[in-house]
Amino acid sequence: MNLWSAVVGGLAGTLVLTTVLRAATELRLTRLDLPFLLGTALTASRQRAKAIGYVAHFSFGILFALGYFVLFVTLQASGAALGAALGVAQAAFAGTALVNVLLPIVHPRMGSGFSSSKEHTLLEEPGFMMRNYGRATPLVGLVAHVLYGAIVGTFVQYGSR
Amino acid sequence: MDIDRYTPIRDHAAIGDGRTIALVGLDGSIDWLCLPDLDSPSVFGSLLDAGSGGAFTLAPDLPFESTHRYVEGTNVLVTEYTTPMGAVRVTDGMTLPGDDLAPFRELARTVERIAGEVPMRWSVTPRFGYGRDRTTIAVRHGIPVASAGKVALAVNTWDAGSPRLGPSSIEGRFVARGDAGIAISVAAQEPLVFPSRDDVERRMKDTAEFWRTWAHTCVYDGAWRDAVERSALALKLLVFAPSGAVAAAATTSLPEDLGGERNWDYRFCWLRDSAFTVSSFLRLGYVAEADAFFWWLMHASQLTHPRLRVLYGLDGGVAATETELPLAGYRGSAPVRVGNAAVGQVQLDIYGSLMQAAWVYTEAGRPIDGEVARRLARTADLVCDIWREPDSGIWEVRSEPRHFTHSKMMCWVALDRAIGLAGRGHIHGSVDRWSAQRQAIGSFIESRCWSESRRSYVRSAGSSELDASVLLGALLGYGDPHDPRMTCTIDAIRSDLGRGPFLDRYRGTDGMRGSEGAFLACSFWLVEALARSGRRSEASSLMGELVSRANDVGLYSEEIDASDGEFLGNFPQALSHLALIGAAVALEQMSSP
Repeated sequence: MNLWSAVVGGLAGTLVLTTVLRAATELRLTRLDLPFLLGTALTASRQRAKAIGYVAHFSFGILFALGYFVLFVTLQASGAALGAALGVAQAAFAGTALVNVLLPIVHPRMGSGFSSSKEHTLLEEPGFMMRNYGRATPLVGLVAHVLYGAIVGTFVQYGSR
Repeated sequence: MDIDRYTPIRDHAAIGDGRTIALVGLDGSIDWLCLPDLDSPSVFGSLLDAGSGGAFTLAPDLPFESTHRYVEGTNVLVTEYTTPMGAVRVTDGMTLPGDDLAPFRELARTVERIAGEVPMRWSVTPRFGYGRDRTTIAVRHGIPVASAGKVALAVNTWDAGSPRLGPSSIEGRFVARGDAGIAISVAAQEPLVFPSRDDVERRMKDTAEFWRTWAHTCVYDGAWRDAVERSALALKLLVFAPSGAVAAAATTSLPEDLGGERNWDYRFCWLRDSAFTVSSFLRLGYVAEADAFFWWLMHASQLTHPRLRVLYGLDGGVAATETELPLAGYRGSAPVRVGNAAVGQVQLDIYGSLMQAAWVYTEAGRPIDGEVARRLARTADLVCDIWREPDSGIWEVRSEPRHFTHSKMMCWVALDRAIGLAGRGHIHGSVDRWSAQRQAIGSFIESRCWSESRRSYVRSAGSSELDASVLLGALLGYGDPHDPRMTCTIDAIRSDLGRGPFLDRYRGTDGMRGSEGAFLACSFWLVEALARSGRRSEASSLMGELVSRANDVGLYSEEIDASDGEFLGNFPQALSHLALIGAAVALEQMSSP
């Protein structure tokens, strides 16, 4: 298997994931905006947050693809189906722990159940499965991550030929 | 129904931590507390059902007289009890976390001997899930713990007697010879934290210090400083820190009509209040709170824009399904409702509130980005499309929609502020269309919503009933407050809707049975309208009367019984305190050269 195919797959997968999330936002299905959430961890300026957030978002997309690559190597298998399955696992992890629990704790501008009158929250916490950002958010997140995983899996599979 | 078992609403004070609020009665009973958050189900709810609602009582075990007050500049409450055997002081607070390992939520009550030796009695009777969940009581590491589902609370005591466990309560007795304390630590989905006495006392001290520091940053220094500071502290209690939203009140279903059906859940954030909220925070110098609320407002309304919901959940959600609980209700005022069906109503005034909030926010030098600007412009476009529709109005009537005057005025305000924002370069859009539609709305109001016979703007197009909400036209810039039509309206409303120093909201039908008390926010709006129309002396005198009708700790509910001063409606009420702040600031501005 080829490491660079995972990097390119990560970029392509993140591109599609971002497009799906953005389209879902325009369709009023969710308020989830991952680049915005990531960027506002570094700045309170909405404009700068989005620019920084997209860089961070794509960087994380590549990092996760490398994680997928390690799993593919370990399992000695890759492909769209396996990638999609990993996407399901990642969506579940993101919705239940990564974005739901960890992000509010480390994000300086996001509220959490621990926020008290001492804090001035600028962003509401995502809640379980990020449902605070709209009831369709879990479904949108699942679809986006399945596509991401399938694309990374496909790139790694064909990149190894 | 034994109404004596219900502590009057007026006899309560509020303590909180930015996540939830407890109401403490003058009799030492905490009879309202939702856990873990303000909009969670109640654990102590005897305010809504004295028999099975649950409470945390702590008071002398013999007849007593009591007074309570806040520690100056804080949301920490002190109640002093005088008995034939001596006197004690109880300090109540919901602690704020510091750097140490603190419980998820913590409510502390410390007892201090003042004189003599006073026998004390306490009882914790939790009723999780509005009393619907089965409570388990056990002892863990020597500490009584009550739990149901994911929520658990531990009753930590120091020199407060040996806790006795009943099937559904934890109780104790002791004699107050020195200092004692009881702290309830709460966990939700996590292991409980059992705090030490030193930790609790340190957090209580730090909590009082935080509130003092926060209150002292208030920049208002006018004649009504004490009332404004208390209102700001009450408002801060209603700020839901995890999101920045401001709850309309801490309670559900406290009745607007004793024994009646006008009982609503106010643990949501109403867009109607948004302009007042942003304006009050900025006028008092609380920029961070204004920022947090405005960000929350923009985020919460993102899913539905350019259409807006009447209210949003404190977490930004739009779900507010209204259901009834099997509770007796405050003094028999059933039904007890959770959720609020007003969420599905059409209310045109909220667009004016949003645009006014954005206007005030940007005029204070706060930035808005391109995406928010585009949304505001689309909101103005939407107002052009929908202002001709009837709606349910600011008072959320459950009768047929009408062409409410206040709603039209707020549509006018929405377009006026949009034009102003465009003039300042904050937003871009169809300014010519906005101007034309603003003029059309103005023509509609002047021709259809003014009554020559009443010499007043009326409740709705073509009606002859009056409505205090049109006072907001004078406050928010629909016309000049000195304009003869507006000054006549102020007089007509005062004459027709006035009850002593108070105002009723409106005359006429609203789709509900029964009557209601005088509406406190309207009374403060009258003060502001009088002040802005140049009648400062009248305004000041009325303000004095209204401030004197607060309860003994300076709080207001939504309504008041004009005959006996008893509070009605949910408590403490953000809109009442926002209106007080607006009136005080207006009086100050009008007295300045």
